[in-house]
Amino acid sequence: MDESDSGRSSASATFEHLMLPHLDAAYNLARWLLRHDQDAEDCVQDAFLRAYQAFGRFRGGDGRAWLLTIVRNTCYSHLRTARRQEPVVAFDEEIHAADTRDASFWRRECPREELDAALGRLPAEFREVLVLHEIEGLAYKEIAAVAGIPLGTVMSRLSRARARMQAELTPTRQGGTRP
Amino acid sequence: MNCAETDRLLDAYVDGELDLAHHAEVEAHLRSCAACASAADSAGARKEALRERLTRFTASAALADRVRQSLEIPGVTSPAGTARRLRIFWSGAGLAAGLAASLMVGFVWGGARDRSRRVVDEAAADHVRSLMADHLTDVASSDRHTVKPWFAGKLGFSPTVIDLADAGFPLVGGRLEEIDRQEAAALVYRRRQHVINLLIWPAEPRRVDPGSGRRSGYQTNAWVEDGFNFLAVSEIPADELAEFAGLLRSRTP
Repeated sequence: MDESDSGRSSASATFEHLMLPHLDAAYNLARWLLRHDQDAEDCVQDAFLRAYQAFGRFRGGDGRAWLLTIVRNTCYSHLRTARRQEPVVAFDEEIHAADTRDASFWRRECPREELDAALGRLPAEFREVLVLHEIEGLAYKEIAAVAGIPLGTVMSRLSRARARMQAELTPTRQGGTRP
Repeated sequence: MNCAETDRLLDAYVDGELDLAHHAEVEAHLRSCAACASAADSAGARKEALRERLTRFTASAALADRVRQSLEIPGVTSPAGTARRLRIFWSGAGLAAGLAASLMVGFVWGGARDRSRRVVDEAAADHVRSLMADHLTDVASSDRHTVKPWFAGKLGFSPTVIDLADAGFPLVGGRLEEIDRQEAAALVYRRRQHVINLLIWPAEPRRVDPGSGRRSGYQTNAWVEDGFNFLAVSEIPADELAEFAGLLRSRTP
């Protein structure tokens, strides 16, 4: 018993040392995916437990990406069971056609509240790539690992997400074409 | 590098994800093209706005305590088997999607030409992206006995991997791709200093249009064999790519 206890505490010390520094990144991803404080806290706690139990399978390397993968999966199972209304992916072709904003629009307008609200309106698959790339600063390759998608998909999803952000921030003129 | 190619690489350029050679090429084009330079400027401004103004939520001290405490408790149980349920969900979803797609085949015949053009466009875009830093291969090996097993478990099928080093097309590795909304194996070969991407994915529910073509400066060559679509993309001349395709087909067991 003593032996397994000391084994446990050294494993948990290593785990704490490697994973706790990523608590903010974990919470930020969960909070953006779930858009709810309490649910995000619960999922982060659950994800840390799962990560701790699976820690034997951690092969070293990028601890943040490894942890965020678990956080993401936990959040998605929560979203599925909660069946909360999620924004739906509309036809991207139209969004691609949306006119590009010039640099001054991004430099002078777009306060934080508007950007946050626009990101909150995007479908989860777009929210997550923007959160991971723009806020957490993950490279394409790390995002591919976290979201479990090919690198090419990371890139196309990011550019669609950005186009979608732009469309969200563009005030609807002359009624718009979408319902 | 022309405007279309620059446009395709612009996001990766702004994100600092291009290798040195392509980064330099984009930069050179931006110096000579005002329209692309302005597009790059606004992509940069957009990135800066998103990066600096979006809220980064931080964990409360209470959450940090909760997490620390829960890790101290021995024998805590948490819902296991999530991954397994997910896999079952996805295999079910794949089956349903396959069924739905095969039912729809009769209805979308008219869109088939557009679709095959789109598939070739996608393949050309995959090829361009593969030239970026760190993206050419997920598994780098000239040994087909290393490359083939690497795909096992990552794809629902097992691609045939043939080395053509003796014919001047050495295999350099493989990676995962997505094409026509399906998972694909991308095998990477070299011809002199050029790269050839060979995409392989199941011909069910949709077959590629066989033949050679040209897209945004790249040659393509497609065929169907043994229930799989094969699409090769490269900047090498059409006759060399056809030779490559012919060699592969003649050596397929």
